[in-house]
Amino acid sequence: MSGIGNDVVALLAIDVDRTIQYRFYSKIIVDSEKLIYDQSLASSLPFEYFVWLAWSIKESAYKCLQRYQHDLVFSPSNTLISEVNLPGIFHATPSEGIGFDGAPVCKAKVNIGHHQFYAITVLNKEFIFSIVSNNNNFADTYWGIKKIGSAEREDQSLEVRNLLFQKLHDLYPADQFRIEKSIFGFPVLLRNGTDSDIPVSFAHHDHFVGYAFVLGS
Amino acid sequence: MTREEILDELKSVFAPYTTNKEMLANINDQTDLITDLKINSANLVDIIIDAEAKYNIEIDYDSADKMINVGSCVDVIAEKLKQK
Repeated sequence: MSGIGNDVVALLAIDVDRTIQYRFYSKIIVDSEKLIYDQSLASSLPFEYFVWLAWSIKESAYKCLQRYQHDLVFSPSNTLISEVNLPGIFHATPSEGIGFDGAPVCKAKVNIGHHQFYAITVLNKEFIFSIVSNNNNFADTYWGIKKIGSAEREDQSLEVRNLLFQKLHDLYPADQFRIEKSIFGFPVLLRNGTDSDIPVSFAHHDHFVGYAFVLGS
Repeated sequence: MTREEILDELKSVFAPYTTNKEMLANINDQTDLITDLKINSANLVDIIIDAEAKYNIEIDYDSADKMINVGSCVDVIAEKLKQK
């Protein structure tokens, strides 16, 4: 069984001055994570990017686990990131893929209690897009991210579904897909009217939307 | 402050982060910040910081984790005000 969670942060929509204030970032990262930044990332990554990188990883981990632990409460301070491997900020990143072989990405580990997850993040100057799974092998993870014209919630929701359905149509042209929300809030992908058992996750922020799903889980 | 007064004042804290003005005008304890007010999760920390500034209180990790609907926000703020 592979779970999946994703999140996107539109970097043009963040408040940089606010993000770098202790009062703000201390609600997202803890001392051990600040230490990771100070010791290994400070020379290559603006601090505000790191704060939102941490947020996107933590929110993705929450979405991944909440699918199975329905009463889970999102708690950034109890979602701990370790072993961050970030080659740098990238000027050109792919907008979709299957897995991340060869793609310039950030890798990290993240824990919620005794649950360990693996995070992959696509990071450039426009957005931070994270995917988290309990499986360290992302070879069967399909993902896509798109810049859209509207930042309205209804448009984000429509666009991200269309993006997913286009990919699914490419893969399974004969099948009909639909999304329903479970009573616990996570998306359920229906294939020809029945639960596909394909874990899928959606994310949106400002003018960016993104999806991730796992086949063969 | 009464719970009703805090709830009413919270509308101005939520306002910059929601476009659902009709729902905002009619919030109650059960109103969910994300699913009902359509507030992006990335703005939840903004709301906590703004509430801290408005009431001159400090909201710790555990309390912040509870602030997922209007009722829990009011509870946390009321408790912190009582501790001042």
